[in-house]
Amino acid sequence: MKRTKATESVSVKLTGADRRFNILVNIVMVFLLIILALPLWSTIALSFRPSTFIGTYIQGMALPPWKWSFAAYHSLLGNNGFLIAFTNSLKILFQGVFFALLLTIPLAYGLSVKDLRGRKWIIIFVIIPYIFNVGLVPIYILIAKLKMINHLSAIYLPLAIGTYNMLIMKSFFEGIPNELRESAHIDGCNDLQVLVRIILPLSKAIIMTIGLYYGVAFWNDYFHPMLYLNKDMLRPLPILLRNILLAAGMNEFVEASAFGEAPIEAIKAASVFMSAIPMIVAYPFIQKYFTKGTLLGSVKG
Amino acid sequence: MKRSLINDIKRQKYIYLMIFIPLVFYTVFKYIPLWNAQIAFRNFKSVRYGILNSPFVGLDNFKEFVTSYYFWNLIRNTLMYSFGKLLVSLPAAIILALAIYECRRSVLRKLVQTLAYLPHFLSWVIMYGILLSLFAPGDGIINDLLKSLGKKPIDFLTNSTTFPWLVIFSDAWKEMGWSAIIFIAALMGIDVALFEAAMVEGASSWQRVRYITLPAIRPVVVIVLLLKIGTIMDAGFNQIFMLYSPAVYNVADIIDTWVYRQGLLDGRFGLATAAGLFKGVIGMILIFTSNFLSKKYTDNSLF
Repeated sequence: MKRTKATESVSVKLTGADRRFNILVNIVMVFLLIILALPLWSTIALSFRPSTFIGTYIQGMALPPWKWSFAAYHSLLGNNGFLIAFTNSLKILFQGVFFALLLTIPLAYGLSVKDLRGRKWIIIFVIIPYIFNVGLVPIYILIAKLKMINHLSAIYLPLAIGTYNMLIMKSFFEGIPNELRESAHIDGCNDLQVLVRIILPLSKAIIMTIGLYYGVAFWNDYFHPMLYLNKDMLRPLPILLRNILLAAGMNEFVEASAFGEAPIEAIKAASVFMSAIPMIVAYPFIQKYFTKGTLLGSVKG
Repeated sequence: MKRSLINDIKRQKYIYLMIFIPLVFYTVFKYIPLWNAQIAFRNFKSVRYGILNSPFVGLDNFKEFVTSYYFWNLIRNTLMYSFGKLLVSLPAAIILALAIYECRRSVLRKLVQTLAYLPHFLSWVIMYGILLSLFAPGDGIINDLLKSLGKKPIDFLTNSTTFPWLVIFSDAWKEMGWSAIIFIAALMGIDVALFEAAMVEGASSWQRVRYITLPAIRPVVVIVLLLKIGTIMDAGFNQIFMLYSPAVYNVADIIDTWVYRQGLLDGRFGLATAAGLFKGVIGMILIFTSNFLSKKYTDNSLF
């Protein structure tokens, strides 16, 4: 933060009111920290709670690490259903992001070319369905007719171009100087080569950002898998987690946990934490791209 | 004119080539559903009969939806969640952004900032698990506290008084960091010279907040509010669908959740599609309004 340094270099002496202000800010910050951290911690602590534990919830949260039990994680990782669901989620994630970028990038680039004939009409064609949302049933009928039910592609293909993401990417491409494209044309590049050799290397940040938007959406999606995938072998992690939390899919885990003797609440919490781990691990890397992307989107969607 | 058209297309054939497949995508996955939406005007029984074989019933489905006893309930809930979330989340995001900006302790600042953005990336299934650990009837922190105070435990998720609050505040918890990003960016853009001048003039911290910081985020608040107009009808399907249960349908049902249950669980495709179209038309009007207003009052617009 630049300003902090600048003001401190100017300020001679903090007045009493300034000091009270700083104290208030810090109190608010600590309050926010507690509000933000407590729910996360309560879930994590619950997942490590041993079955022998007796006491209140708060005491459980204050349990020191050497008393933690890993039984819930043992029974989850030893469970076939969990591993299958995890694999399915990864498949949806990678296939989804791949197809999404494969379709979004060329369209965004094509529409960013200002002198493209019919550009205005194509943009209107693309925006109409974005503005007018017809709801769930007509899309469900389409997926059923295409016989995509019980195919992983039903989860990501219909969502492969998010119009909003495409428009963000388009406005990024519009910011690249047109001279680059023209000089490449003079050097004998066609537009495909321009896109691959010149535009893409300049657009790593936006491609990361949009790819991550898609990735988070696919990884977190439980609704479409619930609609379109009804075989156990196909269900991704969010569906399994949902079943565990709603106690419908609990039986297999109770049996599995007979070895690990983990309490049911701990297994629920452990599966919550395990589903969040990929996001938490990737989070530090994606944070900077995400914040950049939102700002880009808000300046010109 | 005609020759130049052909020339233009030839010259840019690679561009047309690369947008061709994406446009096929739009035709299949966006325009066929638009065509399918005509079942709102038909008595559509199943996919096997086909759409055009289903008898045309005019506006019957719309009439049934609008005159039914649940209609106003759905509208009320949709608006309640939309506005409730806005009323809680927006001030929360602004306070968070201000606190992060004003905080001089860099460790505390980084910690809050990191934790605040994180929940945005968690799914509502995960959020449901977290909420269970806090609000579950038998176990869970809040009921633990209630019990220790000698009060009866409450099942917050199936209680129709507490459920709306849980929806509104869990959404604020999940999204306030994310919504704060745009305010933080606006704050970072403030010219440092303003603060230096204010300090030389002897302005207190409070006065700096009042006359420099708050005015700096006011235009952003306007933009956010204008954009919000376009999404009033989206009250948070993924969230409510995950959190609700039959015990709270009365206060939890929004148009989207109701469309799902009617259309895909009870097989009333026509009625559900009519409700979806109803929502779609209102949504479209709201987006145009939002776009018109933000074009007029700010330089931002979607199209």
